[in-house]
Formats: sequence, structure tokens, C-alpha cells
Amino acid sequence: MKRILPFVIIAFVLGAGLMTARYLQRASSETPAAPSPTAGASPVATPINPGEAGAEPAHALGAAKAPVTLEEFGDFECPPCGVLHPILKSLAGEYGSAKLRIIFREYPLVPNHAHALAAARAAEAAGLQGRFWEMHDIIYEHQKDWHEAFDVRPIFEGYAKTIGLDVAQFAQDNTSEIVERRIFLDGKRAHSLGVQGTPTVFLNGKEVPFQSLAPDKLKELINNELAAHQ
Amino acid sequence: MSSANETAGSIGARRPAILYGVIALVSLIGLADSIYLTVEHLSGRSVRCTITSGCSEVLSSPYATVRGFPLAGLGALAYFVVFSLATLAAFGYRFVNNLLTLIVAAMFLTTLWLLYLQAFVIHHFCQFCLLSALVTSTLTALVIYVQLKTERGCTRT
Repeated sequence: MKRILPFVIIAFVLGAGLMTARYLQRASSETPAAPSPTAGASPVATPINPGEAGAEPAHALGAAKAPVTLEEFGDFECPPCGVLHPILKSLAGEYGSAKLRIIFREYPLVPNHAHALAAARAAEAAGLQGRFWEMHDIIYEHQKDWHEAFDVRPIFEGYAKTIGLDVAQFAQDNTSEIVERRIFLDGKRAHSLGVQGTPTVFLNGKEVPFQSLAPDKLKELINNELAAHQ
Repeated sequence: MSSANETAGSIGARRPAILYGVIALVSLIGLADSIYLTVEHLSGRSVRCTITSGCSEVLSSPYATVRGFPLAGLGALAYFVVFSLATLAAFGYRFVNNLLTLIVAAMFLTTLWLLYLQAFVIHHFCQFCLLSALVTSTLTALVIYVQLKTERGCTRT
């Protein structure tokens, strides 16, 4: 028995390890155990939770009646969000505003990302002057430039100047209550939808597993949704 | 004869058995840590650090994968192998000792390399990676201690 016991212990630990991994994976992805029979060709089958409203009006690219809406909860300092940014941008160009609507929601991961909140404020402040997406793009595209900086305010003010904002107004709006409230409301929506990290993307209200955020897989999901709406 | 063998077999055996048990337990901490990191890596979320601030920077860096396979997954495999070998050694399977030492040495060298990458290349530290480094360093110290304390008997020279 003593000769067999170590192998029993090893097998037990292996089983426990695999079960823990499976449990963590389920808890992390929150994907359903079985796809809905009505989902048809769509691999996304998470039940739709409308959640809290979030900041209104939401920052959206594309027509309100577009058959596919991608809602991203992002953190400007999060590297995977920076990777997702060009992917979503190219999808927006490829499908056009009549087919695809992209919504961005603020979800700065503070305090882990020291400048995430400042970046969210900068984007929202630019939004007050009607240039949210321009600021959104420039912040993501220069993520590596400001991410290491000690003080990001002059950098973001530089971006504000580049995209043609009234810089004095931008600096004032950065700390305004309306900007704070928009970030708070987006965060509230994120919590109501069970968002755990960034980037989290919802496709027509259904959470897209992170593994499906690769360009090809996202296209497949969008095409399936478009086919379902025809 | 049988009595003599049992006596010979018991010389210096108690302490290594307990130490191998400790090595197995310590490796379980590393196993749990690396399983968590592997799952988070595969689910792709930005892991939240609560002590340090560079988890997502470290875990989304190109050094977090080896030919597309998550490094944390390799870590989990290594910790499981260490656990298995230490458990076998604790139960008297002495032939695994050298293999255990070799694997722990390789893990320690890998840990040094990963610490270098975090400090000088990525410029961020991930607390879960630091925990793994601590576990591997502890395993290395324990393996060295076991090697020093194991009675080897007389040699001809």
C-alpha cells in the first residue's frame, strides 16, 4: 500500500488541479454551459442582461439602427485594450456605420493603472467638445508614450491641442462633475453587467469571450449576427 | 540480515522524507499560482494586481508566451512535476532525487531570467510572478538543504 500511496496522492493533486482550472475558467469567462437552441449559428449564447443605463448619450460610432452593436468596456492604460483598438477601428471601416455600431464605455482599472482615470477624464472632456473619438484614438495610439509618464496632464493637453480642442476649456472640463458622472455611470453599468476586467466586449448585449476578440473570430461573430438579422 | 537492512535504510531517512514532504507542499503553492495565471491568460483578461501595479503589462508582454503557449502553463507543469517527484522521494523512491534537483535548478535559472525581464525589460512587476519566484527560490533552498543533509555513507577514496 505504501508503494502505491504516492501515486494516489499525485493522481489526486492532478485531478484537483484540473478541476480548479476548470472552475476558474468557468468563473472567469462566464460562458454558458450549453448554447441556446434558438441561437442557431451564433456561437455567443450568453443570456442578455440589459444592465444599468450607463452614461447617456453613449459614445457611439455607427447608426443607432445598425443590426450589430459592439459595446466595449475599456481602460485606456490596459495593453490588451490598446491591442483591440485597431481591430475595432478596422472592423468599423470594413462593415460601415449602417451595419456596425461601436460603443465605448469607460472602465478605468484604478488603482492598478495609475493614469487610467486621467485618460478616461481626458477622453470624456474631449467628448464635451464633440471630439471624444479623436481623443480616444490618439490616447490609445500613443499608449506607450504616456503610460510611463509621471504627470500625464501636459501630454493629454498636447493631444487636446493636436485634435483642435479649446485647451483651456479641456483642462477645466477634466475635473468637471459631468465628466466624473459619466465615468461613474459607465462603471455602474459595467458592474451591473458583471464586467470583471478589460477589454470586455458585448455583441448585441451578449458578452464575447476574450478568445473571440481576435479579428477573424470577431468577424465570424458579426457575420453570424448579420445573417441572423437578414 | 533483515534487521541490518532496515537499520541501514533508516539512517538519515527521516529528515529527507519530511523535507521532501515540505518540498511537495511548497510546490503546491506554485502550482495553484500558475494554474490561476494560466487560466487568466487563456481567458485573456487584464489580471488585477493588488500589491504591485504591473500585472497586465507583464502578462500581456511577448515574454508571457513561448511559441504561443502560456509561460504560466509551463510553470504549472513544472510545479506538478516537482510535486510528483518530491512525493515519490518522500515515500522512498530515491532514484528521483537527481531529476528533482535538475528540474528545480532549471526552474531557478528560469526564475532569475524572468525577474531580469520584469526589472530591466518590461519595467513592471507582477505580484503573481513574484510569488512564483519566491516559491521557486524556496524550493531551490530546500533542495540544496536536502542534498547537504542526506547521508551518503562511506566512499572508497
